[in-house]
Amino acid sequence: MDETVAEYIRRTVLKIPRDEIKTMLQKWGLLSETQLQTINFRQIKENISQDVVQLCEEISADIKQAAVLDIIYNHVYPNKRVWSVYQMKKTGEETEFFDLTDFKKKFKRRLRSALKNVTINFREYEDNAIWIRIAWGTPYTKPNQYKPSYVVYHSQTPYVFISASVLKSNLPLLCQALVLASNYHDIREMELRSHSLNSLKDIVFKRYSQNFQTHYPRPLQERNVAPESADLRIIEENKNEKERIERVNREVFGDGPQPKLEFAQYKLETMFKSDPQMDVLDKKEPFRCLVKFSSPHLLESLKSLAPAGMADAPISPLLTCIPQKARNYFKIRERKHFFPGSFVSP
Amino acid sequence: GASASLLCFPGPVMLFLAGVFAHLERLEAEAREIAVKQEKMKQEEEKRARLKAKVRELKLQRDKLLAKLRLQKKVKLREKRAMSDPAKSGARAVLEWKIKNVKATLQVSYLTGINGKRTKQGVCFCITTAYESTYLDSYYVHLLVKPEVQIHQHSVPTFIPLEQIAKKYLQTDIGRFLSVLSDHLNAYAGRKYQADQLEEHFSDQIEGTLQRNSLCNLLVFNYKLSSKSKTFPFKARLLYGDLCCSLPTEVNVSCTCKWMVWGSVWESGVGRPYCGSADGWGFFLVEFGDKREQAAILLRDKRL
Repeated sequence: MDETVAEYIRRTVLKIPRDEIKTMLQKWGLLSETQLQTINFRQIKENISQDVVQLCEEISADIKQAAVLDIIYNHVYPNKRVWSVYQMKKTGEETEFFDLTDFKKKFKRRLRSALKNVTINFREYEDNAIWIRIAWGTPYTKPNQYKPSYVVYHSQTPYVFISASVLKSNLPLLCQALVLASNYHDIREMELRSHSLNSLKDIVFKRYSQNFQTHYPRPLQERNVAPESADLRIIEENKNEKERIERVNREVFGDGPQPKLEFAQYKLETMFKSDPQMDVLDKKEPFRCLVKFSSPHLLESLKSLAPAGMADAPISPLLTCIPQKARNYFKIRERKHFFPGSFVSP
Repeated sequence: GASASLLCFPGPVMLFLAGVFAHLERLEAEAREIAVKQEKMKQEEEKRARLKAKVRELKLQRDKLLAKLRLQKKVKLREKRAMSDPAKSGARAVLEWKIKNVKATLQVSYLTGINGKRTKQGVCFCITTAYESTYLDSYYVHLLVKPEVQIHQHSVPTFIPLEQIAKKYLQTDIGRFLSVLSDHLNAYAGRKYQADQLEEHFSDQIEGTLQRNSLCNLLVFNYKLSSKSKTFPFKARLLYGDLCCSLPTEVNVSCTCKWMVWGSVWESGVGRPYCGSADGWGFFLVEFGDKREQAAILLRDKRL
């Protein structure tokens, strides 16, 4: 077995938390159950990884097999990477009979025709997600296994989730291969990025809870009613206002949990509006400014702003439109109408 | 008697004394006047106090009477209401019942499959899917009507061709748009439900997992049939060509294993259909296509 493969396996095993190593090796399936039983999973990770490498040497594992362990690790811990969402477009109206083998063949062929030194791995999961791992090399060097790109694609949807490696120059090639293999004709990057892959999926697949008005009461309408204070001496002064805020908040954010985003960025290219007498700027040019909101869970914190009394309800639509518009990067320019304001660029 | 004590005084002293007396008289008169005035004032004050007390008393009485009057009025009103016209209350009750009925109908209208509710900006339609006698998920489409009909918000999954359907029908015929969308959603929900049921109820016969795609219009799975200690492995591929249909348009069943017939190993004949029978099972093996796909058609003779 190649030394580079051995080193790669060793480093990949070291990444895994000690309690998870056994289950991941079982999912990997490369080592048999009897082989796994010879490893003592209670020793320090360094030793565990050495044992694993030893066993892999016995069966002469190659780099493709080693890469599968990396996919498994990233599938269990996808939130360690930053994912961007891309949208593909197609012109035709043909019904899509997605053929997985065809897709894989076309994808590999396209990539390999442009770049010989690539390692490509596919793995399908039950939720129709296809995970693709690509390690990039150059015409003269072998692929760098430590900076792979990941692509997650759900068949028959126009969305692709890409976690690009640092080597951004390979992105156009990757996009081209995806478009070709999936029978679309164009791809563009959406302004939507996050660490939480599942939340990105929730947003674009519209799996998060939206509030729609209907005549019939939906089953999940019981809200956790906070127990009334038993002490009758405590009177709620602003009860009406509080109820109004709750109602407006629920209309905007819905009932269920919000998708998890870490930041929202607004690039302002609006004119600085000052008192005409003060006339701060000589020239009338846009005041460039970047506003960034960051939080471990941005949408939940926005949802709790009004009830906590820190903002007026309803919250600005620039903040609340994030899941519906499926973007968290905005450019705000001047609106060219009679009332001065700002509009969000498409 | 001043006359008795008429003493002899010189003239000027007499005049002086007379002046003093006059002054004293005057003072006496004044004092008397003041005393009378004071007495009068005292009397007036007493009178005023008495009158004030009386006013207070009268006011109290008046308040008591007013309260009594108000109470009487209330009682009268209550009696009046209780004795109200029975015909009028009946009409009101009927109206309330009618409103309740309409509300209940609206609530249950989702069972029809498509129902809508007016909103401030337009209409929110709810499409409820069902397969045979089971109700499945609901999907929402919120339409704006001004300046032109457009989709504001929706919860339709991305693999349903919503944009295509909207481009075709939304501007011209909203009813058709909803009906076509409902067909797509119902068919998808039906296919998904059938695939789930297949996995659940035949889990012992299916080998491995059921391979499907997002639209559930391509299912591939391996399953086995066993009879009299012999198991026959099959691979099935179901293709649902029509997205508005929950039944497949193309089915491929194939088997690539060797068969044990009558204790001997049997191998497929090339290019020829083979017929055979064993233990009441009759089978026809057909090879077709340039990839030499094999399909086995198994017949069971029920007489045996």
